[in-house]
Amino acid sequence: MILAVVLVLLLAGVLAWATERVAGANAPRLVSVVAFGLGLLWAAGEWWSGPAPGGLYAEQFLPWIPALGINVILALDGLSLLMVALTMFLGIVAVVSSWDEVDTGQGFFQFNILWVMAGVVGVFTALDLFLFFFFWEVMLIPMYFLIAIWGHENKAYASMKFFLFTQISGLLMLVAILALAYFHYAASGAWTFSYATLIDADLPAGVAMWLMLGFFVAFATKLPSVPLHTWLPDAHTQAPTAGSVILAGILLKTGAYGLIRFAVPLFPEASREFADWAMLLGAASVLYGGVMAFSQSDFKRLVAYSSIAHMGFILLGVYAFNEWGMQGAVVTMIAHGFSTAALFMMAGAIQQRLHTREMARMGGLWVRAPRMGAMTLFFVVASVGMPGLGNFVGEFLALLGAFQANVPITVAATVGIVVAAVYGLYLMQRSFQGPPNADVAELRDFGLREMSVMTLMMVGLVWVGIYPQPLLDLSAQTIAELGVLP
Amino acid sequence: MQYLWLVPALPLLGFLVLFIAQGRLPDRLVAVVGAGSVGLAALAALAAGLDFRQSGADAYAQTLWTWMAVDGFAPTITLYLDSLSLVMMGVITGVGFLIHLYATGYMWNDHEEPRGYGRFFAYMNLFVFAMLMLVLGDNLLTLFLGWEGVGLCSYLLIGFYHRDAANGYAARKAFVVTRVGDTLMALGLFLLFRELGTLEIQQVLAAADGLSAGMATAIALLLLGGAVGKSAQVPLQTWLPDAMAGPTPVSALIHAATMVTAGVYLIARMHDVYLLSPTALLCVAVVGLATLFISSFTALVQTDIKRVLAFSTMSQIGYMFFALGVGAWSAAIFHLMTHAFFKALLFLAAGSVILALHHEQDMFKMGGLRKKLPVPFASMLVGSICLAALPLTSGFFSKDAIMLAAFDHPQHGLMFWGVAAIAAFMTALYTTRMMLLVFAGESKTEPHDASKANMWAPLVLLGVLSLAGGWWGFDIVGDVLPDGGLAEVSHVSPQALATIAMPLLGILLGLAVFGRRLIDAQSVAATRGGRLARLFFFSGWGFDWVYDRLVKGPFVWLARINESDVVDWLYRIAAGTARAFHHATALTQTGRLRWYAVNMAVGLIVVFLIVLEVL
Repeated sequence: MILAVVLVLLLAGVLAWATERVAGANAPRLVSVVAFGLGLLWAAGEWWSGPAPGGLYAEQFLPWIPALGINVILALDGLSLLMVALTMFLGIVAVVSSWDEVDTGQGFFQFNILWVMAGVVGVFTALDLFLFFFFWEVMLIPMYFLIAIWGHENKAYASMKFFLFTQISGLLMLVAILALAYFHYAASGAWTFSYATLIDADLPAGVAMWLMLGFFVAFATKLPSVPLHTWLPDAHTQAPTAGSVILAGILLKTGAYGLIRFAVPLFPEASREFADWAMLLGAASVLYGGVMAFSQSDFKRLVAYSSIAHMGFILLGVYAFNEWGMQGAVVTMIAHGFSTAALFMMAGAIQQRLHTREMARMGGLWVRAPRMGAMTLFFVVASVGMPGLGNFVGEFLALLGAFQANVPITVAATVGIVVAAVYGLYLMQRSFQGPPNADVAELRDFGLREMSVMTLMMVGLVWVGIYPQPLLDLSAQTIAELGVLP
Repeated sequence: MQYLWLVPALPLLGFLVLFIAQGRLPDRLVAVVGAGSVGLAALAALAAGLDFRQSGADAYAQTLWTWMAVDGFAPTITLYLDSLSLVMMGVITGVGFLIHLYATGYMWNDHEEPRGYGRFFAYMNLFVFAMLMLVLGDNLLTLFLGWEGVGLCSYLLIGFYHRDAANGYAARKAFVVTRVGDTLMALGLFLLFRELGTLEIQQVLAAADGLSAGMATAIALLLLGGAVGKSAQVPLQTWLPDAMAGPTPVSALIHAATMVTAGVYLIARMHDVYLLSPTALLCVAVVGLATLFISSFTALVQTDIKRVLAFSTMSQIGYMFFALGVGAWSAAIFHLMTHAFFKALLFLAAGSVILALHHEQDMFKMGGLRKKLPVPFASMLVGSICLAALPLTSGFFSKDAIMLAAFDHPQHGLMFWGVAAIAAFMTALYTTRMMLLVFAGESKTEPHDASKANMWAPLVLLGVLSLAGGWWGFDIVGDVLPDGGLAEVSHVSPQALATIAMPLLGILLGLAVFGRRLIDAQSVAATRGGRLARLFFFSGWGFDWVYDRLVKGPFVWLARINESDVVDWLYRIAAGTARAFHHATALTQTGRLRWYAVNMAVGLIVVFLIVLEVL
């Protein structure tokens, strides 16, 4: 069934492309929404019907290249289900929010969106390392097109940068995957890329650390962590709104997911040895991302840098090696998916209306568009980490866990919540508050379509903020089965 | 008591209604929802309180749901009512309702923000909800929810008139400065959880004995950090004067009666942790003492009536911290309550004056308003004598209890008392100055007092509470706090008489200087030393100046110079190098055969030479 979902998304992509000529620009959009809607329904159905006795909501096995022990192994456990549901939800959001943003090549546009998401679903469910890498690449190319074709003024540079960073770090992971399979082959005499087998592979002394780093660099680039982050501000800023929403909401999370699913469980000892460094990178991301966000004059770029800061909490949480930290990382993934996606939608909406992202050319927009102002305020407040909203639960748990593991690094990272307040409120001030900018004569406020999407995101954040338990229960099962926590 | 949850739920409901309505409700309905929700909450609080007192139980806990449960960390959303939270709940809903009622008049037909009536009451209701969660939360995480929530509402309401960038700056300053304290507090929670494995307040208090002395000190100081930020105490006090940018009812509710006393509540609530650490308690006392001293001098030279009141609030909360530090726990909460009455009264009365003068806040442009604004004048007079702590007012009883407890402090009694007494003298002095500047002398303006019953009724009620609020003593929180209620004090000892004399002397001097002008304050201020002292005091003893240079300046500088991200230069250099090689090699591709042949020949020769080991 999982493969069917991936195929549905792929086919829907082809369909969307094909229908444009026949039925006009709205048809591809509808195809996308329907495909993601079906995916969301499927995820909800799996959630509703509960896991099979083994703890999996769905699984699938097909032989692919038997000679090398490469198979199509797909499994949906609690964490995967959560991420797939988020993917489908944000897929709908991305399409609806940028409904009339793109006016050329709507069919191919939706094709790329659907193909990215198909790759993402594969990444979140693959339990064969070769297949995982395959999907990892599938995500990349359509995303490159989204930026390169429909991006803003500096799209060629940004898309190439995005491609190179992801590709080079992905190659390191490929080498690590092949080496891991080889060492297992050398020890056991059988080729396999199966996660379940390789997780118990006996590695020669000293090798594990290098292989772990191969995975870590790929995931830390995707996350991204300082100092591998510099592709993100360009890619996010230049991407069209739907691209930014998908990038920030979903693609970054594949990095976090990879750390939790692969880098840590495949090499638990090496990861433990490396934990302090990873946490240090996390704290550095929190602080550096925060200061950088403050220094930006471009609305979208500011939000992009704030993503780096938020992702730092994930590194801290994952490498704290306790359940608080790990759960904090997971909740942060979900909450950041909502809050940052909403802020990128806001950036897109403003750019569409004012044809600028420069905050110097905004100011006092609240007066012209109070609904947009209120929504921006809400999501800024969420991303500042206000208790009662989702981001707080994630960041508090991550810091609580990290504190048990390493006090000085956690103290440094906690300073980041002050910085978050500084850049978050400054964003609000420069765009929506202050004296109304005389150049902005009129600003179309949010209508029903935008407000419904925003309301969904708000409800999501409040739900995660005050009653995250269903979500925590889902991921708790996965975290327990990773077998890396004491 | 099962309906205790209604107390925070009603203001939350009010907020939700106003939020969802998006300003589409008619203003009259907004007033009904905004003030009514808090009024109903006050009734629910009253009923719950009566029930609670009748039941004779020590505490009542109502668990609503488990917030999150992760590996032994399972904070619940639980409302916890004991005599301490009862007093706080009463002040928040009672005084809160009166201020809301007043605000329905004050914000009516507001020219600065014509469509902001609904937004204003939405924020106000959200504030009341958050403040109630803060004091009713049975878990430090729930308390933190309220703690951050009130900070948010404070930010929103300070910056309510958002078209003026200065208001936005004041709002952000308030949020960020208090967040520095909140960060320390969060670290305190992490540490507490590591040591005790829980954040349930009652469990923490019961298990606190197990903390080592050093750990107790560390936790107590981190929590003090949070308290200092929220309650505007030295060294995180700088945001409060600027917070006066908010509408005056906001100043009354948030920046006088409730939110800024949250730090006092926190320390009183966590008393068992503080009792384990004499060092931390001493720090609490010194913080309070420093604040009450510094701000009482600063208040004397202000020109803006709201800033006078802001500094006086800092100073009075300083007295509360001071009281906690010297072990007068009940007196601190007593003063918290009486201060809520009289300071809310002072702010609202000042608000009436400001409104009657079309938003004029400079006291030097007022004067002679006694006859023209009789209700605000009488209210302000009542508030002032309470603030100055004249005998038989509520402020007298609570402050007297603090001063005399300080005198009995085993190590520093006389010194503590002496500093606090100087500040008490200063308090009376600056209060007298304020009253004379505003209400005495020549009339300079023509006020238009348009206040109706919804505005003067709260003034009258708060006036009664301010005068009579101390007559029945204050033993209610004795069963929760370690001192078991107010200490018995004698009012005929030398220190007691001196304590009573201080404010009287202050008023006499005030009348002499600012009323009769026996000494000309202007010519004193015009001397070189006077100018410097005035500037120093006026600026709040230079704290802003120092922070701007030590923290804000470097941070902004760092952000400015690194706007293009220094890390990216690494990659740009790598890309540039690759491109340079590309161009260099591209140059060799000329398409001219002769050039290729020469190259090949030279290459071959070099290879030969290498092979022959010549090179």
